[in-house]
Amino acid sequence: MNPCVLPTPLPDLDGDKRWHSIHRRFISDCREKDPDVIFLGDCIFETVQDTEAWNKYFAPLHCLNFSIRDDCTEHVLWRIENGALDNVNPKIVVLHVGTNNVRNSAEEVAEGVLANVTKIRQKLPNAYIVLPSLLPRGQQPNKLREKNAKINEVVNGLTKGLYRVQTVAIDKGLVQTDGSISHHDMFDYKNLTNAGAKKILEPLYDLLSQILNENEPENDLTPSE
Amino acid sequence: MKMVLSQRQREELNQAIADYLGSNGYADSLETFRKEADLSTEVEKKFGGLLEKKWTSVIRLQKKVMELEAKLTEAEKEVIEGAPTKNKRTPGEWIPRPPEKFSLTGHRASITRVIFHPIFALMVSASEDATIRIWDFETGEYERSLKGHTDSVQDVAFDAQGKLLASCSADLSIKLWDFQQSYECIKTMHGHDHNVSSVAFVPAGDYVLSASRDRTIKMWEVATGYCVKTYTGHREWVRMVRVHIEGSIFATCSNDQTIRVWLTNSKDCKVELRDHEHTVECIAWAPEAAASAINEAAGADNKKGHHQGPFLASGSRDKTIRIWDVSVGLCLLTLSGHDNWVRGLAFHPGGKYLVSASDDKTIRVWDLRNKRCMKTLYAHQHFCTSIDFHKAHPYVISGSVDQTVKVWECR
Repeated sequence: MNPCVLPTPLPDLDGDKRWHSIHRRFISDCREKDPDVIFLGDCIFETVQDTEAWNKYFAPLHCLNFSIRDDCTEHVLWRIENGALDNVNPKIVVLHVGTNNVRNSAEEVAEGVLANVTKIRQKLPNAYIVLPSLLPRGQQPNKLREKNAKINEVVNGLTKGLYRVQTVAIDKGLVQTDGSISHHDMFDYKNLTNAGAKKILEPLYDLLSQILNENEPENDLTPSE
Repeated sequence: MKMVLSQRQREELNQAIADYLGSNGYADSLETFRKEADLSTEVEKKFGGLLEKKWTSVIRLQKKVMELEAKLTEAEKEVIEGAPTKNKRTPGEWIPRPPEKFSLTGHRASITRVIFHPIFALMVSASEDATIRIWDFETGEYERSLKGHTDSVQDVAFDAQGKLLASCSADLSIKLWDFQQSYECIKTMHGHDHNVSSVAFVPAGDYVLSASRDRTIKMWEVATGYCVKTYTGHREWVRMVRVHIEGSIFATCSNDQTIRVWLTNSKDCKVELRDHEHTVECIAWAPEAAASAINEAAGADNKKGHHQGPFLASGSRDKTIRIWDVSVGLCLLTLSGHDNWVRGLAFHPGGKYLVSASDDKTIRVWDLRNKRCMKTLYAHQHFCTSIDFHKAHPYVISGSVDQTVKVWECR
């Protein structure tokens, strides 16, 4: 059986139960907030919420960010199954998960991502599910980078034609011409800096605001009288 | 205009000219110039491109100066014309003006509500950090905290004399606090099944109304703490409850995009107001003084089709503010201008204006008679969640997700 599709809580290796505490806090956020957009995923999104790009682009959209460092597909799946999307009715869920499934094959991880999409669809029948591509990682070209590219390709194929599921390519512009990734874009060669986030998240923001404003009347810009 | 250069400046200018001539290939001129100005053939590196730099920077500076001058004129205009001086201002006309008088920090999470005390120079802020803070709005001093809730405090309300404070929270409880001496929680009331979003006293002060995400509104007896009535009808999360000054009716708004007006003494819904296209976040009853401005804005002939009211303003996630004649259930006017959800509303006590707080981070002052936004204050660094206008003194307060409470003086 593919471990990526089996809902599992993150093992509490440190012994302080932080992961469960964070999960419980997200559940209580659901009870009192009324978000239009929920970000769900791993370290990439967790670190993004400290960037200027987050404050500028995403905070005004009424977002909640339910991302936990080190989460793999099976952990996010467990969180969705155990209340992370209860009591809310967002218009969009943005899912970024899979880059931490380092021991699984690209196909297994892609199935794990799809399992999350299916689970989100069960909980929220009408929400848009947006899947930004997994970002390249590592300063120099390496196997994980190739694998993430492969996962993106497989996920693209698997989600084609699904109702209100959309992938968005955000992985361009990080790898430089010599094949390296700059620490100015990714401070640990995996997570985004302020500058990196600004560059990379703009297309995602464009897509989200388009979806959110789809049903709004167009502003009449001609002066009245 | 005659310019005088010092010896050193002249030498530098000559060097810069030499560099300019050299780098642009004017070889003959350069040679002649060197001879005439008695320059060595070596041009120091620091003169590279210096002339062009000075040339462009002058233009850039000129532009900057012009911009600053324009800003200064505007600011002067604001001081001289826009804002009457302290002794010239009248209570009917004063409106909040930047900059803020105080920016108060201390809460550790988003501010959910700010309200004035009806009598003392105090204001109260509620926050997602589960505390309520009391401040002196004239001095900007922090007075004390009320602790007891275990989750976000969503709303607070005073009774008419300001002797009791009611609060409600995501911890499902409603609390009553003694505001005369002890500042202690004197009652905790349970009964809602979900987040309690709003709370209000009836004018007589003997009952409290609460609105919840469980879609109901409940009435609680202050003396005993018992729930005496439950009003049902909203199909979604009830966002806010506000009682009309006469007490016989109250209004609620909801995620179901409607506003309902209820008869306090029965459990009946008197009228349902629909027109908003998204969750209705906030409501405010218009004071008596606003009737003429609203009638004029609605285009009603003052003799014939005069609207009697009572009038209610509502703010929504559809970014508009609407004003309703509750007696006939009609929307009289719509104010649009905010770029994001409208979160808070308060009428000017003089009745001519309405102020609103929005997730577009601004506070706006609306001229009711002309149905236009007459002033925009870029108030906070994040969503503005709440606003209140003092009934007698020239102050407005606002709260924000940026965790600050701001006091604005009116002029």
